[in-house]
Amino acid sequence: MPPRIMIAILACALGAQAQAPVDYQRDIRPILAKRCIACHGPDEHGRQANLRLDTQEGATGKSGGYAGIVPGKSAKSRVYARITDSRRPMPPVGPRLSPQEVDLIRQWIDSGAPYTNHWAFERPRRPVAPAVSDPKWPVVEFDNFVLARLDKEGLRPSPVADRYTLARRVALDLTGLPPSPEMTAAYLKDTSPEAYERLVDKLLASPQYGERWARVWLDLARYADTQGYEKDNRRTIWPYRDWVIRALNSNMRFDEFTKLQLAGDLIPQATEEDLIATGFHRNTMTNTEGGTDDEEFRDAAIRDRVAVTGQVWMGLTLGCAQCHTHKYDPISHKEFYQFYAFFNQTEDSDKPDDRPALKLANASTLILKELPENQRRKTHILERGNFLTPGEEVEASVPAAFAAFPKGAPRNRLGLAEWLVSKENPLTARVTVNRFWARLFGKGIVESEEDFGTQGTAPANQELLDWLATEYMRLNWDGKAILKTIVMSATYRQSSNATPELLEKDPTNRLLARGARFRLDAEVMRDQALAVSGLLSKKMYGPPVMPWQPDGVWQVVYNGERWITSEGEDRYRRGLYTFMRRTSPYPSSMSYDAPTGEICTMRRIRTNTPLQALTSLNDPVFMEAAQQLALRTLRETGKSESARAARMFQLVLARPPEKEELRRIVSLHREVKKDLARKKASAEKLLHYDRTLYKADLEETVIADARKEGGGWRYATEDPGDGWLDAGHDDAGWRTGRGLFGAFENEERQKEVATSWETDTLWLRHEFTASERKLSDFRLQVKTVSGFEAWINGISAAGSPQERTGYYEYPITSAAERAIRPGRNVLAIRVVRNHEKKSGQSFDAGLVATRPPDFGKAGRDDADRASWVVVANAILNLDETLTRR
Amino acid sequence: MTPELQQLREFTRRHFLERCHLGLANMFLASMARGAASGPDNPLAPKKPEHAPKAKSIIYLHMAGSPSQLELWDYKPELQKYDGKDCPQNLLEGKRFAFIKGVPKLLATPYQFRQHGQSGAWMSELLPNFAKAADDVCIIRSMTTDQFNHAPAQLYLHTGNPRFGYASMGAWATYGLGSENQDLPGFVVLVSGGNNPDGGKSLWGSGYLPSVYQGVQCRTQGDPVLFLSDPEGMDRGLRRKTLDAIRDLNSMQERRFGDPETQARIAQYELAYRMQTSVPKVMDISKEPDSMHKRYGTEPGKVSFANNCLLARRLVENGVRFVQLFHWGWDHHGSSRREDIRYDLPGKAKVMDQSVSALITDLKERGLLKDTLVVWGGEFGRTPMRENRGGSYGPWVGRDHHPYAFTMWMAGGGIKAGLNYGETDEIGYYVGRDRVNVRDLQATILHLLGLNPYRLSFAYQGLNQRLIGPTDEGRIMKDLLA
Repeated sequence: MPPRIMIAILACALGAQAQAPVDYQRDIRPILAKRCIACHGPDEHGRQANLRLDTQEGATGKSGGYAGIVPGKSAKSRVYARITDSRRPMPPVGPRLSPQEVDLIRQWIDSGAPYTNHWAFERPRRPVAPAVSDPKWPVVEFDNFVLARLDKEGLRPSPVADRYTLARRVALDLTGLPPSPEMTAAYLKDTSPEAYERLVDKLLASPQYGERWARVWLDLARYADTQGYEKDNRRTIWPYRDWVIRALNSNMRFDEFTKLQLAGDLIPQATEEDLIATGFHRNTMTNTEGGTDDEEFRDAAIRDRVAVTGQVWMGLTLGCAQCHTHKYDPISHKEFYQFYAFFNQTEDSDKPDDRPALKLANASTLILKELPENQRRKTHILERGNFLTPGEEVEASVPAAFAAFPKGAPRNRLGLAEWLVSKENPLTARVTVNRFWARLFGKGIVESEEDFGTQGTAPANQELLDWLATEYMRLNWDGKAILKTIVMSATYRQSSNATPELLEKDPTNRLLARGARFRLDAEVMRDQALAVSGLLSKKMYGPPVMPWQPDGVWQVVYNGERWITSEGEDRYRRGLYTFMRRTSPYPSSMSYDAPTGEICTMRRIRTNTPLQALTSLNDPVFMEAAQQLALRTLRETGKSESARAARMFQLVLARPPEKEELRRIVSLHREVKKDLARKKASAEKLLHYDRTLYKADLEETVIADARKEGGGWRYATEDPGDGWLDAGHDDAGWRTGRGLFGAFENEERQKEVATSWETDTLWLRHEFTASERKLSDFRLQVKTVSGFEAWINGISAAGSPQERTGYYEYPITSAAERAIRPGRNVLAIRVVRNHEKKSGQSFDAGLVATRPPDFGKAGRDDADRASWVVVANAILNLDETLTRR
Repeated sequence: MTPELQQLREFTRRHFLERCHLGLANMFLASMARGAASGPDNPLAPKKPEHAPKAKSIIYLHMAGSPSQLELWDYKPELQKYDGKDCPQNLLEGKRFAFIKGVPKLLATPYQFRQHGQSGAWMSELLPNFAKAADDVCIIRSMTTDQFNHAPAQLYLHTGNPRFGYASMGAWATYGLGSENQDLPGFVVLVSGGNNPDGGKSLWGSGYLPSVYQGVQCRTQGDPVLFLSDPEGMDRGLRRKTLDAIRDLNSMQERRFGDPETQARIAQYELAYRMQTSVPKVMDISKEPDSMHKRYGTEPGKVSFANNCLLARRLVENGVRFVQLFHWGWDHHGSSRREDIRYDLPGKAKVMDQSVSALITDLKERGLLKDTLVVWGGEFGRTPMRENRGGSYGPWVGRDHHPYAFTMWMAGGGIKAGLNYGETDEIGYYVGRDRVNVRDLQATILHLLGLNPYRLSFAYQGLNQRLIGPTDEGRIMKDLLA
């Protein structure tokens, strides 16, 4: 290894400990807040020595009090003298300030004792775009801020990504799905300069856009389909999820989106939709365990609403102020409860029935509802955050440090919402565009998306963030427009390929000299596998669904609720429709870092674990996708091995493979095929993989029984003589009837009988045609209180001497199955009453078989076809597949 | 990379630079420069503890539902006298119970108690085997908690917070110490008794910590780890061929795109492949000798607490750091025969007594007990009063949830053997002396593992989150340490 690199890394490792200049917000304010402000702070009554240290005017005596600090001169400052006093040190109680703390204060005073406001608490100003080294590079104004920064570092932006990469990137980002082959083809064909923009517009207009960005929002809304806590019973709140999807697809402006979710019920003439929107804050958990105090958990829910509102809109950790004044940010204990007061007037309490709810045509969904005027609650500061120890009463208000409450706005949730989205609010636009940025670039400009306070990470490029925030407000909170602005930029369109130089200089890509590359979200990963294999259902909205999951994972202690795999296309819906149980989340999503809905998740921390590899390699859902991807490839492609390999690769990755990649895929196919040629059973299992998951779904009726209103049996009650069971036998003289055959004494049971049969023996024949698509796994479904024997085309197929209750399935012998020919076949059955006639006798039968997979014209070589399933499993697990680059 | 992972990486890197001689450090740096400069280094790599640990591993046996200390460990002759008398008012005022209403009656235990071993530990007749281990364990009869419902109390115990969303003890241990065996998960969870504990998977969740630290639930039926088996039709040979192709194709892509994350991905796929062999091997108890099955009461292929105890030993033997057992079904309210302390408890206790005693003996014989910490307990205790659900008594007998006093025991790694610690008052209602709160327990466990409970933290939502909570009230219980 070159020594230069080693030194660089060492320097980087040590750099973390190097001294940075003293920062008032980071270094000094916490010391003052913790050790000084209680006696020398804003509280006039308790103030000691007429000294105030939380403002510069106070500390320097400019506001008339005692001058404790002489800016620039620690030696002349009484504050410094007293904290270093050996006999009577300040503070008078508690341990002395540490030598490090004393030193920080000395440095700070010597540097002029600046009292700076935290950057994020000042309103963003629109920065002027700086001049850049390459004026042709920027596409959007904010590109200038990125390039200016690169200029400063002596870096060049990366070239624009190739069109395949760009199409997949922007489709995954905007819709959470890979581009369809048609979409990519149309984009590649379009050589006009507007081609990319047209693609972006198409994606933003697609309904899948709303689904993708709803999932992003639902992380914040701590959305789940259950109540949480111990019992974690099911609740109906999916209409809220659907509301979010519709709101995003109709491009509802973010200010409106905010007002409806926080206060849709308070809007004059609120519509049903406006009420559903308030489900946002009804996603709090409900505890119905024995002996719980309803007020305790109502209080917990209100606090959660306060904390989540602060987090989602302003990136504030308001929750820190519930027990005491915030240690770092300007939010007092009292202000927390003033904020709390806005949310304290709703009807919902911690009750199992989850009232109030809104009755809809097909469901009943949870909503917020304000208490009537005469039932309003009083709000008190809760001492040390304990609901049992209420203190001073407070009125609804917002923390003073950020923006004034809008004039004329009502002092309720609606007014609060107006305050959040007022253009005076320094945080909402920044936090929101930062979230957009983070979903498009893998991390935010402020990496700590959840904390814009003084303890959060500093913005990588504040001008860039402020430009975007002001632009978002200028566009009147138009979400699609700001997303379009970002994805149209030169910054976004850069190739994500990294050179060793860039990796060394900027390993985490804070400077944006290249495009972003990051692992897909859990839902996107699953949706992608379903989409490329052709399984994905485009059905939108409605109650949550239960796709396949392993037995035994879903264990419910109290309510007996079961995981019953959904039917038909509901198995293949997008991930955001999967039933979300807080205490038993969908296992494959969990291993890929999806949230459980217990808390508001402002960002998902991506991990890389072997359990993830096991999931995407072995989870039957992914394996079924591999099988279907193989079938799709076989159906859609000619017989050449490399054409198939290339097609499959391109279906998944939306780009053609490189030559060496193609060679490796073909060689994998050959190795596997050689192997499977010797393992017929394995090949069979791989080809019919879906059968192991849902056999019944793939069933095809060959001869319908009475349940399916079948008929057309030829029957005889007297011995028809030799040869009656052969296909060629002439049964023209037989009678015609349909099941149930038999006779009963009991009148009720007799009603089921369609054809009377009272003799000892019954002979039956039924013709059937085997279609071109070869069916397999034939089963006879029989209901009888007698013994029977069956033949197909004269070959013994099934039989039983005993009676069974209800319809019972008998597999057809393999000899009989082999005897089934395309065209006309005959099933022949002899039923023999094996007991003395007691109360009656009956018989009915039907024939079913399993539909084979559709191989198109793929030939009949099982080993060859099955090996494509293995290849698909590999391609679905490539790093590039799991990644957006 | 997140700042948290960055920190983590920083930590590992410094640790390497401090501890490894130059050759190794060079190799490490070389691999960083080549591959992992921006990708996560293995976040589960073993990390240096803050101080020399007394316990390398921990087996935590949680009896979900909370067994009655008054039937098992806490002998109260006075309570026998007051059987059937009204509970004094002053013990009820201002108290909240899960089910007790009005004035309940005090309840004597139907079981005989005797002293055992040199330590003279009192134990009931329900623990005939465990009684022989009296001098190997430290019994704490003065535990208290703040929560009186199952889910919040379990969450409080395991994650330091009664609400959902916090990191569990096992996740903290794995975050702080990494994993010794790279072919097995560092934090394994085994569940028996027919149900998950009330707190659900959050009890072994990673909360705000990266999800790599969450507990991996292993099962004794079906796949021991979810999705561990190759799909039907895919044998080991085919899986190897697939992985070879994935590796080759990933390497090609890494060369073209230059993302070091790709190397990390390849490594995780290889680890997954090794786990497919190593996990079933360690989870397969069928090859244990008959004597061992007899001792534990194990039956291979079943889901049972006995099987899980034997597995716990095998896992620890193979370098798993944190083995967490949950055994459900100890919630003896007396609201049905299944929850009756006379009819159901003896059966539960019998199974537990046999397998837990076997575990202690087995660990001791193998020399593993000295650096394996074994912890046993529920999430709270049970009332000295008989529960009167709905305000009246039916045919069944049981006790309600009781947070003010309960019993736990610890053994092995760093714990004083044969110690009887703490006492409750004469009827077992309150702690009489030497109170140990759940916070103290958490601090002590982390300390024994070589971690500093006050410093082990993770920045989230503006706070340095810790297992022991925001205040320093949790104490390392020096009295309990060997």
